[in-house]
Amino acid sequence: MGTKFNEIVEITKEFTKDLKAASLSHEIDSLNLKYLGRQGKVNSLFKSLPIKSDPKIGQQINHLKKFIQTKLSDKLEAALSVAGHQVFDVTVPGIPIAKGSLHPLTQAIEEIESIFKGLGFVRRRYPEVETDWYYAEGLNIPKDHPARDDQETFYVGENVVLTAHTSNGQLREMEYKKNPPIKMINIGKTYRRQLDASHTPMFHQFEGLVIDKNINITHLLGVTDYFVKQYFGPDRRTRLRPHHFQFTEPSFEIDITCGLCQGTGLTDKTPCKVCKSGWLELGGAGMVHPLVLRNGGLNPDTCSGFAFGWGVERVLMMKSGLPDLRLIFSDDIRFLNQF
Amino acid sequence: MNIIITDSSLRKFLETPAKAETLSQNLSLCGPTFDQVTKIGDDFVYHIEVITNRVDTASAQGVAREAAAILTQFGIPAKLINDPYQDKPHFKEGLSKPFHFNIEKDLVVRFTAITLENILVKPSPKETQSLLENCGQRSLNNCIDITNELTLLYGMPSHIFDLDKLAAQNLHLRESHPGEEITTLDGQKNKLKGGDIVIEDGSGRLVDLCGVMGGSVAEVDNHTKNILLIVPVYDAKRIRKTSLSLQKRTLAAQLYEKQPDPELCLPVISKALQLFKDRAGAEVSSSLYDYYPLIRPSKTITLDFNWLNSFVGIEIKRETVISILASLGFLVTLEDDRLVCSVPSWRYHDINIKEDLAEEVARIYGYFRLPSVLPCVNLPSEPKYLLLDTELKIKKYLSNIGFHEICNSSLVSLELITKTGQNSNDLLKLQNPLSSEFEYLRTSLLPSILENHKHNQGQIGGILETYEVANCYRKTIGKELPLEVSTLAIISSDDYRNVKGKIEALLDYLKVKKYIFKPSQLSPSFYQKTASTDIFSDNLLVGHFGLLKPTVLRSVGLSSNPVAIEINLEILSSKINNEVDIQPISNYPYMLEDITLTSDKHLGGLIEGLKNFDPLIQDVLYLESYRNKHTFKIFFGSPDRNLDQKEVNSLKDIIQKHFTN
Repeated sequence: MGTKFNEIVEITKEFTKDLKAASLSHEIDSLNLKYLGRQGKVNSLFKSLPIKSDPKIGQQINHLKKFIQTKLSDKLEAALSVAGHQVFDVTVPGIPIAKGSLHPLTQAIEEIESIFKGLGFVRRRYPEVETDWYYAEGLNIPKDHPARDDQETFYVGENVVLTAHTSNGQLREMEYKKNPPIKMINIGKTYRRQLDASHTPMFHQFEGLVIDKNINITHLLGVTDYFVKQYFGPDRRTRLRPHHFQFTEPSFEIDITCGLCQGTGLTDKTPCKVCKSGWLELGGAGMVHPLVLRNGGLNPDTCSGFAFGWGVERVLMMKSGLPDLRLIFSDDIRFLNQF
Repeated sequence: MNIIITDSSLRKFLETPAKAETLSQNLSLCGPTFDQVTKIGDDFVYHIEVITNRVDTASAQGVAREAAAILTQFGIPAKLINDPYQDKPHFKEGLSKPFHFNIEKDLVVRFTAITLENILVKPSPKETQSLLENCGQRSLNNCIDITNELTLLYGMPSHIFDLDKLAAQNLHLRESHPGEEITTLDGQKNKLKGGDIVIEDGSGRLVDLCGVMGGSVAEVDNHTKNILLIVPVYDAKRIRKTSLSLQKRTLAAQLYEKQPDPELCLPVISKALQLFKDRAGAEVSSSLYDYYPLIRPSKTITLDFNWLNSFVGIEIKRETVISILASLGFLVTLEDDRLVCSVPSWRYHDINIKEDLAEEVARIYGYFRLPSVLPCVNLPSEPKYLLLDTELKIKKYLSNIGFHEICNSSLVSLELITKTGQNSNDLLKLQNPLSSEFEYLRTSLLPSILENHKHNQGQIGGILETYEVANCYRKTIGKELPLEVSTLAIISSDDYRNVKGKIEALLDYLKVKKYIFKPSQLSPSFYQKTASTDIFSDNLLVGHFGLLKPTVLRSVGLSSNPVAIEINLEILSSKINNEVDIQPISNYPYMLEDITLTSDKHLGGLIEGLKNFDPLIQDVLYLESYRNKHTFKIFFGSPDRNLDQKEVNSLKDIIQKHFTN
């Protein structure tokens, strides 16, 4: 039995010597063959063991095999390494690649769109320069109505305006679909003759419209709540207040609880600077006026619907706390780099 | 509109234990919004936002009626008191009238007038003074203060003249003539446009700019002994026009333009007479003048309970519906499943259809009590909106490879149009621009992006690449509306080849059908003709790419020479290959060979020619040029066999001969 142990010692000695002498990869490859190959020394040793030999010897040979494998692979690694013995500084900085930015409005619109898509709304795009009919007359705002002379609308022709709201999409969608159900979200640019910290002549709105049999006020609440919780967070609450728009009846103003004061109206025991007694205005909404349904070619006796039109910049500012709307339209790359 | 009233004036019409805070919170949920509640001494001042079609709530009395209806629904006892509509005012008859009115057609809804004598002008009582001051008005004297106080209490303006200052007692209420002048109580001289409602005193002098502000000629002062009091309701549209054109947005004008209730005239004039007696010792000196040309017919609307419940979305008890409508002043009669509702005079204009009644019931019942339900509306399959998908894909791709997205205004200045060498006649112009900065609708996004680069000049260390995706607005001939064309524009300070590579990568990523950059024939005026290309896909022009004219860059103030691209996304998105086309790759290896050709042709044509020259040429990579010597790497290969070097060499010879000139 002792002879087998001796043989193991002999092979180990020989291998150590061989390993020292080898430095090129092909030399190491041939050592691999000599010791670990099918006809190699280790395998031969295994084969020469009698069937009922001491299991300890088998273990010893296995140790030897592992030892040789490890040594050879380390040596091969060193031989192949281009860097060789040079020191490699792993903390060297990476070479930067250009990092662009996606505009915050694009991000907001994508988020809004995906929330409504989840509810089965289809995204639409309708004209931003529009005729009087779709923009006003058809929405129950007659020619001599005070809502007309509020000086907010840009005109490009006697009968053609830049839309100050996305509600023109309501009649357009009814005409396009011809029949209920309708479930759309129209996102587009809107224009008003205003310029200050919270108004720019151009901004964006998203207009939702749902029309079907038996659509009622609770559905408007449902969709609003869903949007608010998805976009602003699950702890936000909404409320409707009575309001007046010509194209909805009844009309509502929708408020959501303020994120800064959590709807308490107080920050550090002083009145919240951001909201009115805990509430922030989200925007207008209402049940589609029967005259508007009729103007869109639908029958108000067999269907009903709700609509809302909210500002993209408005929800973005409410969420991000941006202090000045004009920042959104900044072209300073140092600002945009943050997005 | 916004009004200011005090808690104490509200409680003249409202009996309730509710405190100011409860009252304002609950009313904001169901009626007019209380924007601000301020404590002043023992009183509270309310800033209230009155909904535009609810002029009936623009007074203490009107808010009180809402409060009585709303608080009751919250379980708080509340009762409307001193309701002027319950008054049956009596006026002395048989007195002579020391005035005569000649009122022209269509200018008034109702006009009531009466005179008073033995006036003693003095300061108002303390209570009236503080009411006016708390509501942001100035106390003037006992007489004028009466009219202002009544406006706050009832929402019905009135006006007084010093009767002795009127030249003749023949008053003519008419439309103004263009250019006529009147000095109003604020001391301003106003030149009228014509069509304003005015009163002339018989001597050619205008004594009232009706519904907006009185004339200074017949102002009541400390010496006034006789007064002419009028409580009129004017034609709303004319008042609005006058008030807006003269920028006199007085409380009276804001009320009149919203059509207050003519049925309030007599109760208000009667309250006024009582106050003149109490505070100025005045006696009535004439019979009542009441011109009411068109008494409105009463209006009834039928409300079906089943419809109401399905419209609101919950079942509201019939008793509740009836009590809500009754508390708001509707006279209701039950007929089977329906309620026949007679509309009160003060709601004549805003209640017209059953939906209006549903609003009244639902809001007083409380929107906050309605559950939130997601509608089960399912659309049948909708076609894909490829343009929107393409826009977002482009934005994400470009932003990921180093481009910055900017959102510029669609409205541009004449200055920018001129600087970039465009013809302003090609652009749609606003008829009423806000400023010269925002005057024209752009037909190209590039000028604005050039300005973006200028603004960032010197601020960015390396290369600046920005883009915008937005609509351009193009004039159309024979159509009412312009064409709105979704457009992508890019400006990059990187070099021509790098930018072109990025654009090609974008077009490949989008799977744009066979596209090609051709030396430009069609590029817009701001491109350098000799250094720009037209981009075609499937032989359709999709856009332009190239360098800009140095003169344009100089006038914009840009010192670099950037590369510009503009692409029509409507066309591009119609040229996107939606078919899945996956090809297996040949198992036989390519042979890569460099080849240098001497040619004076355009590289584009040369590469195109090489690619199509032989089926064994799988791909061609451009390496470099020296003068007219161009080096390419050619990928030779076959799908079904190995090529040998001899075959490739002979093909290379043929290529050399064919392309060298």
